[in-house]
Amino acid sequence: MNRFNPVLPVDEYLVETNVLFYLNDALTQLLEHKEEYTQFGVIRYFAEYFSSVKNSNHVLFREYNYIKATPHNRASFIKVFWRCFRQIGRSGDVLSMQEYSSVLQLLCPDFPVELVQSAARIVLMDDAVDYLMSFADFLYAFQLQFYYQEFLASVLAIYQDLLFGKSPNTVIVPTSIAVEQLSLLATEENSTQELQEGVEASMLAECINGLCDRFKHSHPSRTCMLDVLEQSPKATYYSFLMGLAKQDAINTDIGALPNKSDVLVDPEMDQELLKLISQISASPGSTSSGSVPGGLRETQKKASPRRSIHHRRRMEVESDGSTEETDSSES
Amino acid sequence: MAEKRRSGGTSVLPEVKTTKSGSDRLLLSQLGVGELLRGAILKMVEARSDDPIGFLADHFCNLASVSESAGTAGFIDGDQVNGVPSACAQEQQHLNRALWHLRLAHHSQRSAFSNNVLLAYDLLSDAAAATAPHSRPGAAAPEGPPGDGSLAGGGVRGGLYTQTLQCLCSEGGVPAATSAPLLRRLHCQDHEAVPYDIFRQGVLTCAVFSDYIRQAQRLYAEVCCPAEGPASRALCLAVLGTLQEALETSQGPEAQHSPNANAKASPGLEANLKANRYLEASAKISSYKVAQAMARGAHAEGAGGNMDAKEFENAAAELFIARVRVVS
Repeated sequence: MNRFNPVLPVDEYLVETNVLFYLNDALTQLLEHKEEYTQFGVIRYFAEYFSSVKNSNHVLFREYNYIKATPHNRASFIKVFWRCFRQIGRSGDVLSMQEYSSVLQLLCPDFPVELVQSAARIVLMDDAVDYLMSFADFLYAFQLQFYYQEFLASVLAIYQDLLFGKSPNTVIVPTSIAVEQLSLLATEENSTQELQEGVEASMLAECINGLCDRFKHSHPSRTCMLDVLEQSPKATYYSFLMGLAKQDAINTDIGALPNKSDVLVDPEMDQELLKLISQISASPGSTSSGSVPGGLRETQKKASPRRSIHHRRRMEVESDGSTEETDSSES
Repeated sequence: MAEKRRSGGTSVLPEVKTTKSGSDRLLLSQLGVGELLRGAILKMVEARSDDPIGFLADHFCNLASVSESAGTAGFIDGDQVNGVPSACAQEQQHLNRALWHLRLAHHSQRSAFSNNVLLAYDLLSDAAAATAPHSRPGAAAPEGPPGDGSLAGGGVRGGLYTQTLQCLCSEGGVPAATSAPLLRRLHCQDHEAVPYDIFRQGVLTCAVFSDYIRQAQRLYAEVCCPAEGPASRALCLAVLGTLQEALETSQGPEAQHSPNANAKASPGLEANLKANRYLEASAKISSYKVAQAMARGAHAEGAGGNMDAKEFENAAAELFIARVRVVS
């Protein structure tokens, strides 16, 4: 709409915006499910398809190749993951890498474990991967790893080369097989060689700067990366990524998640839960609700909407007011 | 047509074509998918929206609601009391659709814009005729310019026309107070039937005016330093003077040879369109002029006090509106 921008040629416009990708997918889906999708008319089908792409629901239950196909799809998947499972974070649960992997596969059946592993390594700084992680920690590491996976693979390759004293200039963007080998190599080397030292941060910064030139848009902002690398003279691959995962600016660029402080806030769900709770307490059949004085629950709800999920759970196991202390210590 | 598109450079069916059998292609052509998508892509490329996915979503939703309401008249207004669409609701619906068409293309994209204005005009005429919409989805082909200005239903009712212009201005980010004098000039009586020419010019004027005001706002932002409060009056007057010059330069010759009342608005508006371009140019190019004015303004400091953004905007609007003739 803005005619003050230089006008892109049609082809570039279509490529840049990934429109053809979505049209292609819409048609493929239409043909695969023709009975189902044509019953309300094709126009309605396309309207629904593009509306769902617009509001990010289109990636739900789709195959991995689809969800990683465009930046918009990646951001959408991160958003959907967050929306669906932030209750994990609110209830203060910590999960293992395996559990996060299963949760992700509820949304995307063929979601690769390797990617979840890589994200877990960022959180755990490459320590034992079977430790437990909080939802928020995992979420932002996952976002970084998933959204910028190709770029990070190249960074890892460069890092490896620097570590083993090779000239990083010879590094070519690795294929996916090479990346897997490298990350295998990384884990093996970890146990034997002492990697805590890492490499010269300034050298890594220089190489990353060069790498950005080749990656056009699909890398985290340069200033953020350089900021992180300036913080200490030495850097390891995972300390670098850990630093990036904490950068709000990168999060804002991707645009899928709120800032870390707001990641568990969910007013709609709170309302739903309040409604549910009042229904439970109102229904005559529920015996458990009778054991809690209505007035008391009312004050608890008001005092701390974020804990309402606890109340629902605990009410089922005969709650009393004393759980309040454990609640606050958990969250 | 569909075949031509598929073999063309921007085919959207490469995968489908290679992996699926002819039956799929048959199905797609039976469903009219090729036509549908071609229309959508053309519209999208024409509008060059920054958010093409959102554009397509709106486009298909709009088409779907049109075709559904055409299929079962009044279906969309099913939430109305007793299921019968009130004339008012239907009118609103037509207005929304018309505005949607008008938003599609910027007025600098001349053919696209004209085409959309025509579609909007048809829609609103239908609304005036208060009959069920007869327009088919994707009836994007222009039926030729309606020279006599009396299409189906005898034109758009004045009330609807005024409402359309109001919406255009407010959507264009122009405060109601600023656009009110302009709308008074373009105003038609509620009962009047507005011919196509007038409608087109009114819409175009509002579109240009919105652009113009945005430019003027930007200009003010350039002139004033937020840290130092409002810009000095002398400075603003100098800038407004430059602006007026730009408007006059562009208007000059064309405006003079339109004494004919019937053709009155047309050349003038074309000129306004141009003026807007001149303004862009002058706002950008003549930074040296602004610098001159600033130097002068610095000398005259304190002489006239300050001018705030609103006042500047009003003054700029006045310059524009003075050049729009009253529709009578």
